[in-house]
Amino acid sequence: MRHLRWLLIPIVLVPLVWVLNFGFGRDPAEIPSQLIGKPLPSFRLVTLDGQTMTAEQLRGKPILINFWASWCAPCVAEHAILSDAQRRYGDRITIVGVLYQDTADRGRTFVARYGGDWPILLDPGGTLALDFGVTGPPESYFVDAAGIVRAKQFGPLTDAVLAARVAPLLAAAIDR
Amino acid sequence: MRTLAVPVAAGATLALVALIGLTYLRPPGHPTQAELAHQIADELRCPDCQGLSVADSPSGSATEIRTQIDQLLARGLSADQVRSHFVDRYGEWILLAPRAPIAWLLPGVVVLLGLAALTAWIWRGATRPTPVIPAQQPSQADRERVREEAERLDA
Amino acid sequence: MIPTLGHVAIVVGLAFSVWAAIAFIVGARRRDDALLASAQRSVYATFALVALPCMAMVISLLTHDFSVLYVARNNATTTPPFFSVISLWAALEGSILFWTLLLTGYASLAIWRHRNRHAALMPWVGATLALIATFFFAVMTWPGNPFTRVTPVAMEGPGPNALLQNHPFMGLHPPLLYLGYTGLAVPFAFGVAALITRRTDEEWLGIVRRWTLVPWIFLTLGITAGAFWSYEVLGWGGYWAWDPVENAALLPWLTATAFIHSSMVAERRGTLKIWTVALVIATFTLTLLGTFLTRSGVVNSVHSFTQSAIGPWFLAAITVALGGSLALLVWRLPELADARPPGAPVSRESAFLFNNVLFLGITFAVLFGTLYPLAAEAISGVKVSLGGPWFSQVNAPFFLLLIFLMGVGPALPWGTARWSTVRERFAVPVIVGVVGVLCAWALGMRQAPPLATVGLAGFVVAIMGDEVVRGARARARARGEAPPVAAWRLATRNRRRYGGYLVHLGIVCMATAVAVSATMGSATTATLHPGQSFAVRGYTLTYQRLVTEALADDPRVIETRAEVAYVGPRSGSLATALRAYPNAQAEIASPAVSTSLGEDLYVTLLAYDPATRTVTLRAVVNPIVVWIWLGGLVVGAGAVFAIWPERRRVPVKALATAGAGVGPAPDLGPRSADALPGDAAAPLREGA
Repeated sequence: MRHLRWLLIPIVLVPLVWVLNFGFGRDPAEIPSQLIGKPLPSFRLVTLDGQTMTAEQLRGKPILINFWASWCAPCVAEHAILSDAQRRYGDRITIVGVLYQDTADRGRTFVARYGGDWPILLDPGGTLALDFGVTGPPESYFVDAAGIVRAKQFGPLTDAVLAARVAPLLAAAIDR
Repeated sequence: MRTLAVPVAAGATLALVALIGLTYLRPPGHPTQAELAHQIADELRCPDCQGLSVADSPSGSATEIRTQIDQLLARGLSADQVRSHFVDRYGEWILLAPRAPIAWLLPGVVVLLGLAALTAWIWRGATRPTPVIPAQQPSQADRERVREEAERLDA
Repeated sequence: MIPTLGHVAIVVGLAFSVWAAIAFIVGARRRDDALLASAQRSVYATFALVALPCMAMVISLLTHDFSVLYVARNNATTTPPFFSVISLWAALEGSILFWTLLLTGYASLAIWRHRNRHAALMPWVGATLALIATFFFAVMTWPGNPFTRVTPVAMEGPGPNALLQNHPFMGLHPPLLYLGYTGLAVPFAFGVAALITRRTDEEWLGIVRRWTLVPWIFLTLGITAGAFWSYEVLGWGGYWAWDPVENAALLPWLTATAFIHSSMVAERRGTLKIWTVALVIATFTLTLLGTFLTRSGVVNSVHSFTQSAIGPWFLAAITVALGGSLALLVWRLPELADARPPGAPVSRESAFLFNNVLFLGITFAVLFGTLYPLAAEAISGVKVSLGGPWFSQVNAPFFLLLIFLMGVGPALPWGTARWSTVRERFAVPVIVGVVGVLCAWALGMRQAPPLATVGLAGFVVAIMGDEVVRGARARARARGEAPPVAAWRLATRNRRRYGGYLVHLGIVCMATAVAVSATMGSATTATLHPGQSFAVRGYTLTYQRLVTEALADDPRVIETRAEVAYVGPRSGSLATALRAYPNAQAEIASPAVSTSLGEDLYVTLLAYDPATRTVTLRAVVNPIVVWIWLGGLVVGAGAVFAIWPERRRVPVKALATAGAGVGPAPDLGPRSADALPGDAAAPLREGA
């Protein structure tokens, strides 16, 4: 009984160190999406070119929705990756960009400078971003052909992520 | 004066407690929509800030959330429904305070236990008889110290 | 060349630090004075060996040497010299370098000051400090090398983080905090030494208290400076967000304050030894935890440095420090634990003990709240948030009880008290408190916690005032001095007591100012064209024009400011701006604050449209906010007054009666001089 007090050491140390250690290797800013398995939020927004687009129009093909901004530094590199994706499978999936907390002018300047020929939606006020649960650019959402959200990418897209996420969407679309 | 002070103090405290009690026992008035909106905004976390509430944040997303709160309240949703609207999109993370009871109760319970344990320790110590310590002759060091202290008292 | 020298100095410093630790430990076991002397000199050497890399880094920053990775990431050719110099602590590696400088500085000072005394304790103190320094040197040698080179060398850099270069307080807040954190290593080392050597006597206590108070002062001022800086800079008018890193600074402050109080009981009664040692150990461990949280990236914070490989190293350090100290505590527990409480239920000792429970309760709550999201995610996988509202609501009752004890504690005598005396003493202050609440109510305050704060503040101030006035009167009567002179002389002969009063006064001032400014302010937001006005609580603000230009000191920063004229209780003009820094994503707000003793007018530019020149402004009127900062200064001044060395006085012929004023007590030994002025002939030692 006298030596029970030595238990104090593991009782204090183990939970503390375990909790702190858990924090490594994960980004505290990343939150999981609430939309996984749920339908794409409906919207009716105008693109940079002035055309109107609704969520219903996008049904039928898998969709990659990318939230970005002209002031977002990692978005520049991501834009190149998206351009590449557009070339490789732009016919089989629809890529849609959404401008996050930015002005149309700055968006146009960015596209003029870095290219990109997929529709960019203007989201005044950020309602669509709120509906998706976006916390900051860049964030991307992978939606299947039936309009159900399947995956979220927090942070810039990479070739590896694209390959992993797009393949199942394309496979599912072929099966239909 | 001194003898009056104690009853006056007691009376004043009682009156204050009564006043505060009456205030809180009055049926709660309905907060205005603006007040309710502000309250909800205080409880929501701004999505692209570092821990600020929607009420405090000047960012674009916070402004949009405040607008949405107003719209939802105008449509007749209750405060809980408005909160759920945002939890549906961001998860529990958007609430600045967790809903789990343990998060609210644990600190209070721990402190109460600590205070209770301390009170018990002190009370038990007070009721036990004080051990008699045999009188000691002051040591030379003690004498020196007393002399020093006495010498320091200024005229 | 210079950066290379810096790096070499760090590696050599590591070697000296390791040698110092070994020499202290072996020298202590073998009682080898030569080894101990060598160890002491090694510690002094480590200080010099950190000063060199600090100078090297400052030179690299001033000369914009982009071959050094740290400079390349945190400096630009256009960065003004002041901000280049203070970039020493702006980012991760530099901050560790600066930390180590202050740590070795304190270690050298502590070892030098006590070099010829306390022969049993000092080797272990030195060993502990050397081991801590070794850890930091190791971090700087491997994962966190400040002098990592980069090739090819860029022509320009991004400059310091935008938020860290738009206010001069960046030069004040971190150094003050670091002087606090690093200083707390010294009492920790004494605590460890005390456990190893089993010497926890009065001498030890006096030393540890002094070595805790000085860092405590820096920590208090640092936290206040940080709050002031937040308020002036961040644009939302707040000064404390319960951000994890802010909490990390508060945690050691809370346990250090608890220690300062319980050490007075320990000194007087010779008890609570394990408790006081546990507190000093907890204080430094919490400091290490705070350093970890800031630099590991495990929690989200405005203060976070970027995530890096340093995290696991710090976690290992915390495990070793905490595990080792717990082991020592548990080992010595049977010998040092108390069987009996130090005082009667109604006594100053008990008040101090309750104070300690509350301080530790707040510490637990804040630590729990900071780690809860992490723990919840670890256990259940769900991401939750825990922010300001939780902390304020959970801690409010504890803080209120503490303010109550602040009044009650110093008014209760040591040992025991009779309820009738206590009742009489508190009657008038209670009335003052109630009047305070009624006044606040009349002025429109309706929420319970701030009302309670105001009431308790009145209670505490009335008690303190009563003590000071009665003491001054008694002394004035006995010696024929004028009351103010008597009060001053009394204060300078009882520096600890009166310094304590001043500190409490400062705390009460801050608490009241926080309560009032948080609940009685008004805010208005308006979108305006040039020439339009809007009103907020007695002020009418007119937006005049929008000016966009580069900053004079740093032409890469473009500032867009709205010039506003205001009329009201005070009139004038101010300019509130949004600044675009080259490496920041969004523009940084630069709010304008017009401060007076009664209230602050705080104007933020939320948005602007360059085409139409419309702006969205938010104006807030915060009553008595400036008293938060002034209160913080009073706390610092009070603590400085308390530890200021007393002048030795010339011995005089006549002895004053013990019932009149109180004489100065010597530096060592129990405080016998705290007899209440009104009590009859108090014996020089009370109680057993």
